[in-house]
Amino acid sequence: MANQVQKVAYVDSKLGVSLPGQQTTRVIYDSVNAVAGQGFFEFFTNFAGKNEFQTNLTTNKLDSAESMVIKSIQIIMNSAAANLTGHLNLNITVGNQVVVKDFDPSFNATSRGLSFDRLHSGFNNSDNLEVRLLTEIVIPPQVNFKVTLQVADAVNVAANDDVTIILKGYGRIFSAGNSF
Amino acid sequence: MGMSAQDKMLNVASRLGLTTLKDMQGTTRMVYDSQTTAAFNHTFFKGAAQRAFPLTNVGANGNQFQVNEALLVEKIGFFIPTAADGIFYNGLGTLSVKFSLNIGNKTVIKDVTCELGGEQAFYNDGTVASSVIDLEGVGILIPPQVEYFVEAKAFTARGRVADSTRLGCYLFGTGALLNFNTTI
Repeated sequence: MANQVQKVAYVDSKLGVSLPGQQTTRVIYDSVNAVAGQGFFEFFTNFAGKNEFQTNLTTNKLDSAESMVIKSIQIIMNSAAANLTGHLNLNITVGNQVVVKDFDPSFNATSRGLSFDRLHSGFNNSDNLEVRLLTEIVIPPQVNFKVTLQVADAVNVAANDDVTIILKGYGRIFSAGNSF
Repeated sequence: MGMSAQDKMLNVASRLGLTTLKDMQGTTRMVYDSQTTAAFNHTFFKGAAQRAFPLTNVGANGNQFQVNEALLVEKIGFFIPTAADGIFYNGLGTLSVKFSLNIGNKTVIKDVTCELGGEQAFYNDGTVASSVIDLEGVGILIPPQVEYFVEAKAFTARGRVADSTRLGCYLFGTGALLNFNTTI
């Protein structure tokens, strides 16, 4: 079975990306500022006016010769009343392909004996949860991607609440391998 | 070396004549269904197309996956919705659950109990007892376009008597999503 390094190399080669690149651990994130009662959030599609801590991308695709494998998904809710313990519906789209479909990560919120992970962190709480994926998902270079999240507890979402999605995994960043 | 989840999916798909499943998009997948009316007996996923989010996430396809989509079930968890709207839920509290999983016309898990806190040898969720059962071996595949459902009864873990309660169930594991792999 292919490991994450081989999987990125395989997908990249299929797409004609031949540069070797610098192997790395990659974290990308995007934060959305809510309006009152907002139950549907779209991430990695709008970067206008966000600071460097709200998102570390400027466009909804990785740079040329950059790619990554999504190994885990983290969601952070910054709200006085709303949280992540109610049902959620998460979808990830890469290119035009849905790669994570109608996934409910809320079972990993708090310690309720319901987490998907055998060794579940007690630090996963009602506002901050992480899910480790069983299958690695590749984001190739220069392919649009987005994440959508539906929150069942929308009535408790207030204006200026923040929801942040963080995708973490193995990646490759550009390395010329030569002096300019 | 044991068989991986992906190997098992492809092996079963091959035996069922699903020759293109190997070309589909691999993913991590979970489906859940819940019933917010207290009862002694629950049947999950059957008729779930009639229910909407957040009671279930199966959508219009109901209790079967569409063409070239599948789920290798590796964990089964049970939860108790806290109100009729089904938004919030908790673990089993003091209850255990006896259940069967049926796929097609075949019972593939029969009269198994998900015992409250029963996985503590290798399952750590803080100080809270587990409401999840890990399937032994690699797991069980729900193939595309085959109906599946779970029959479950809750009972008190200590007293061993039936309990009427709201209940929900999730199936979690490695999945496949439809990918045309061609232009249409």
